[in-house]
Amino acid sequence: MTDPVPATELYFDARIVISADVRFLSAIRHTIEHLTAALGWNDAESLAITLAIEEALTNKIRHAYKNRPDGRIQFEFRKEPNAVVFQLTDQGEPPDPARICAQRENMQPGGFGTQIMKDAMDQVVYRTTEEGNQVIMTKYLPSGRTAPEGPQ
Amino acid sequence: MNLTARTIESTRIIDVDGDVDLRASPQFRKFLFEALKEAPKVIINLTAIRYIDSSGIAVLIEGLQESRRLKHQLVLYGMNTRVNNVFKLTRVIQIFQVVDTEEQALAAGIPDASQQG
Repeated sequence: MTDPVPATELYFDARIVISADVRFLSAIRHTIEHLTAALGWNDAESLAITLAIEEALTNKIRHAYKNRPDGRIQFEFRKEPNAVVFQLTDQGEPPDPARICAQRENMQPGGFGTQIMKDAMDQVVYRTTEEGNQVIMTKYLPSGRTAPEGPQ
Repeated sequence: MNLTARTIESTRIIDVDGDVDLRASPQFRKFLFEALKEAPKVIINLTAIRYIDSSGIAVLIEGLQESRRLKHQLVLYGMNTRVNNVFKLTRVIQIFQVVDTEEQALAAGIPDASQQG
């Protein structure tokens, strides 16, 4: 069946505020998996995007709030003409720039989060504003990509 | 996530079923470390994992480190497409001993130390 409206013309603009609690991970994960599939990303891309969002969330739970469940995380995701923007904000400890930029070693059991976010998304921006610490991730829609450059 | 353990001779096989995320990974870690303490060879069946995040991968790396410390063996098998995609994203597959089937896992010997990451 052909979809009557292309993914680039779909609209959503959502904001969810949750406790910094691991019990919400599954609900957020399922939402993002279904949303990305509906927008035309294949299974591998949908999984990568979902994983990146979950890594950003778990970073806030573990590092910004140090597993304190009274913390709040604002999760916003909205459709722009050729992309989806995911924005997470917390009012906990700001991220350590050294940790964001660190290269992980093979046998190191941590440090995957920022690498996964960078690999899965087209743009990842960290900033601290009056609203709190934000990570803003942009992923271009499959149909919004420019053609890769050919061999030089 | 559901975890079950089976024992075949001196080998412990852990069947992992469901989502391995930050909520589930502490339980997975405890279960894996207990198995590693009790059995010289531990096999993890990944077939029924629907989702695994970096906290689950971290548990596997910690388990591998523990197995080497104890001079025990850790083998993974049944890597489905979704788990394989996460291993690709985290770029750690080469440090593990990974085979396709339970039979291969049971037959697998300890890899050459010079080949370990």
